[in-house]
Amino acid sequence: MSWLDTFQSAAGNDGQQSALVSELFAIFLAVTALFFVAVMIFLIWAILRRRRGEGESREPALRRLLVGWVGLISLTLAGLTLATWLYDRGLARAAATPALEIEVTANQWWWDVRYADDDANWIFRTANELHLPAGVPAHITLRSNDVIHSFWVPNLAGKQDMIPGREADISIRPLRRGVYRAQCAEFCGLQHARMALDVTVESPADFIAWRAAALKPAAAPVGGSAQAGQAIVTGRQCASCHSIAGTPASGQVAPDLTHFASRRTIAAGTLPMSRANIAAWIADPQAVKPGNNMPKVPLTPAELAAVTAYLETLK
Amino acid sequence: MLKRLGVWTIFALLLALAVAAAALLWATRPAQPEFRAAILETLAPLPRPEARAAPAASAARAEDGQWTMPLGDHAATRFSALAQINPANVARLRPVFTFDTGIAKGHEAAPLVIGTTMYVVTPFPNIVYALDLTRPDHPLKWAFRPKPLQTAQGVACCDVVNRGAAFADGRIFFNTLDGQTLALDAATGREIWRTKLGNIAIGETITMAPLVAEGRVLVGSSGGEFGVRGWLAALDAGSGALAWKAFSTGPDKDVLIGPGFRPFYASDRGRDLGVTTWQPEGWKIGGGNAWGWISYDPQSHLVFYGTGNPGPWNPDQRPGDNKWTAGVFARDVRTGEARWFYQSSPHDLFDHDDVNESVLLDLPAPGGPRPVLVRPGRTGFMYVMDRLTGQVLSADPYAFVNSMRRVDLKTGRPEFAPEKEPVQGRVTRNICPAAPGGKDWNPSAFSPRTGLLYVPHLNLCMDEGHSEANYIAGTPYLGADARMHAGPGGNRGVLTAWDPVARRAVWRIREDLPLWSGALATGGDLVFYGTMDGLFKAVDARSGRLLWQFRLNSGTIGQPISYRGPDGRQYIAILAGVGGWSGAIVSGALDKGDPTSALGFVNAVRDLPARTDSGGRLYVFALPR
Amino acid sequence: MSSPFRADPPSLPAGRGRGWVRLRKKRRSPFPSPSPRRGEGRERGFGVCDLSPAAEPPHPDPLPLGERGKGAGPSGTAVRRYGPIVALLLIPLLLAACHRETRDYKSDALKASDRGAAFEGNAFHIAQGQRLFGWMNCAGCHSHGGGGMGPPLMDDEWRYGGSMGEIAATILDGRPNGMPSFRSRITEDQAWQLAAFVRALSAQPRQDVLPSRGDEPRNTEPMTLDERKPIRPATPKQDDSSEE
Repeated sequence: MSWLDTFQSAAGNDGQQSALVSELFAIFLAVTALFFVAVMIFLIWAILRRRRGEGESREPALRRLLVGWVGLISLTLAGLTLATWLYDRGLARAAATPALEIEVTANQWWWDVRYADDDANWIFRTANELHLPAGVPAHITLRSNDVIHSFWVPNLAGKQDMIPGREADISIRPLRRGVYRAQCAEFCGLQHARMALDVTVESPADFIAWRAAALKPAAAPVGGSAQAGQAIVTGRQCASCHSIAGTPASGQVAPDLTHFASRRTIAAGTLPMSRANIAAWIADPQAVKPGNNMPKVPLTPAELAAVTAYLETLK
Repeated sequence: MLKRLGVWTIFALLLALAVAAAALLWATRPAQPEFRAAILETLAPLPRPEARAAPAASAARAEDGQWTMPLGDHAATRFSALAQINPANVARLRPVFTFDTGIAKGHEAAPLVIGTTMYVVTPFPNIVYALDLTRPDHPLKWAFRPKPLQTAQGVACCDVVNRGAAFADGRIFFNTLDGQTLALDAATGREIWRTKLGNIAIGETITMAPLVAEGRVLVGSSGGEFGVRGWLAALDAGSGALAWKAFSTGPDKDVLIGPGFRPFYASDRGRDLGVTTWQPEGWKIGGGNAWGWISYDPQSHLVFYGTGNPGPWNPDQRPGDNKWTAGVFARDVRTGEARWFYQSSPHDLFDHDDVNESVLLDLPAPGGPRPVLVRPGRTGFMYVMDRLTGQVLSADPYAFVNSMRRVDLKTGRPEFAPEKEPVQGRVTRNICPAAPGGKDWNPSAFSPRTGLLYVPHLNLCMDEGHSEANYIAGTPYLGADARMHAGPGGNRGVLTAWDPVARRAVWRIREDLPLWSGALATGGDLVFYGTMDGLFKAVDARSGRLLWQFRLNSGTIGQPISYRGPDGRQYIAILAGVGGWSGAIVSGALDKGDPTSALGFVNAVRDLPARTDSGGRLYVFALPR
Repeated sequence: MSSPFRADPPSLPAGRGRGWVRLRKKRRSPFPSPSPRRGEGRERGFGVCDLSPAAEPPHPDPLPLGERGKGAGPSGTAVRRYGPIVALLLIPLLLAACHRETRDYKSDALKASDRGAAFEGNAFHIAQGQRLFGWMNCAGCHSHGGGGMGPPLMDDEWRYGGSMGEIAATILDGRPNGMPSFRSRITEDQAWQLAAFVRALSAQPRQDVLPSRGDEPRNTEPMTLDERKPIRPATPKQDDSSEE
């Protein structure tokens, strides 16, 4: 998977949430490691000092040590509990003032992303990609349209299940710029593995530029082939499910294609974005991602080329 | 200890406890506002207001015994001054003749009578019949078949109805379901012109009755359930050429909003609100169809009409106020330029189109009569508005409403009940009024003799669940599943006599079935209306007492009219033929096993197929000679 | 090959083995059809005319009688002796079948009605049809089977026929009284899936493949809100004995 030039790590500190969790994990690891070592030392010491004869003796020193040991464990456990509670508070605080409202709806097997806003003019839809400005807390409302999914950007925050008919939410405050791979973390059917989400964390300025571009309708295609492709996409089966702002295609049940070619991957992280892959995907979606809801639309080679040419213009 | 206290002390304590418990139970008893209101209503003395509303003087007509437009006159009063038939003799009312249309769909039209001819326009295929009233056998003078496209039937939201024709200058104007407006020579039935306005490929149909004013034929679109971008068009009555077309969504130049646009409320002021109060591109498939009634005030040259629901029904998919849907426009009939707008249901939640009739009245006020329009809204509120400025003077519920608390007269905005606001993916229960509203399209009647507005309306509530709607041109764009049922009290229809001055109901008649027919008020102090199981009724305009009823062949959802025949007698006419949204279970043979059928209406009228059958027939009644 | 699972539909009643045999025989056919998925009936003929009647039961023997002798090649003296006579006797039958061909006016979808059986008895296809029923706005007109702008689908009345082939044809090509054509909006396989679901609305296919719940928000009241009623009335109703 060379096109994903990042790796997924739950131990990272790219987001405030994941950093807090990592810190807590480190504390737990250190403390438990300390105790593990202590136990091991004690065990070895006990083996070395084992008594060969029968009978038992009650050494008062050992007894005092035992009481002290239990006390230490109790204290440490209390301390860890306190630490957990404090970090949990920290997680809650990090999400207290979201500056960005996003709605993510999971489908079999893709992500519908809607950037919400009080002003309806600023609302737009995209799919299978999430752009977040670094340092800005974002509040993400999670829904599911069909089965139970789970939203997980390992590098940035923890998991949150998406249960049909319910609304869940998660807050993310990414700290470092980069491209992260998120994925569905709850088995949701045949193509569960190919249900990824590209998360791009960028500087606020870049994010604003991206949002401005995303709000624009698709540009009219130039060139005969792309124009022919647009006629096919808007006049044939494609438009029944997909929408492309600025064209009559207004389907709502499949990924929004307005700026399709600006995304990094096709079909929720299944294929890297390239002309060949677009063509391969349209030619037979069922060969690439069997069982998904995109049917194989009968197209002649010329039509396929035209549609590919048009989709490539949707930057 | 107990013994020392004594039996009586314990008894007293228990008594106090019982009294306290009873008081607590009384204080926390379930609220029954409508029940209490009903009690208060019967207890209160009947008002005899000195000051009484009057039909708009500017739009009044002289009684000539004709019925030239479905609402009777430009003020939309549905009043006939003919007084031969009165409470004393109405019991002797008998059918004089009937005429079968041969169509089994919903007949919502009003017949017209011009001179000695009666004109009837049927539902799809929109045949116009002219009947000669001079001869005793009432023969057919001519019939005109416009031959609309068959496929139009598939994109008609709620049965293939037509709400009537209009007459002016020797011509009959009417619309066909497939989106055409036609002008016929009233004498011969010859087609003079036809103009295609709607495109049924995207679900654009026309069901409304046109209105003719100042040489223009005003026509509005239907298709709010198909994401059709609504419009009102004015055609030249002489040639059929398009004079102007005002959309209900989109940029100001499409909506014909110019410098003369002065809405009363601040939320309606701003540039291109028809674009900016939608999610990007949403306005293009945003609905707002003007499929209802138009009234006309000749003095100010204004026409008043409402715009329909925004698309889709699922409100989560169209954030924002969704201007200019679900509101009322005042436009200059000469140019089409908007004068004011008021949105009764911003970001409409429950399919509450605002297309109901605007009755133009002059209300008594300290400084002389005030020109108002009175609108029994889908929201269940009776809006009294200044017809020159668009200010809401009062808004009071006339039906049982729990989805909306009140209308803030300062901002003009309704206050929705948060517990009834729908959420995608969930079912919200017991929303009152249901999607057809407190009252749907069926027009009210106003009698200047009593000063009362007779409102035939509904008492329906619904459970509604929302899901994501998919837009495919020419297919429904809804995203909602509704299931309607009777409102409090168990009756589904109500006829309310409303006093617009005192702002209260004077009397009500509770009808078992939803009331989907128009009302007619006559100079004989009678109110006529029909029920969906086929009873045509006359009630006393002052008390609401039932005086006469007649069983029709089918349920009626039509509009009764009154006219003076060539023999000088007063006649009452109505079309029977159940159907429409409410009667689709009969006319469309729907299956009551699915409560969401016909957008949920079937669940409320499951008993209808057992009580009536379909079949269009014109009935004309008169007193025996 | 646009079925979501590109292999043969999984619950083909005859089982996979038989399908495999059929494929092998197809390969031997002297006139291979250019589009093997559509109109399989053609391959069964001699290439002169179509022998398969349109409403044939879904799984007849893959080869027509006339071809059995040479195609499958069972050897036996009886066959060798009477074979020519039987073949001669079968010629009128063959001609009769040719006559059918000239009167063929049914659409492709109808001809392929044996394909319908594979979709109809298949839980996956019915479930996909259910999703499409919502996505393609079928529910807007037909509600969840009870109808509205369009006729009800859960009853036993079919204006244009209720077989898989007829329903698929209705969906793909539309009908004159308002049913729009979905040929340019969905693929043919999706139409078959929809047809399978439409038949499921009136509970015609096998019960074990039907979806157990709808996709739409449930609009029925939760059972916890049901009013409690005694199973039998407290006071048994008196019979109309007064008449006696």
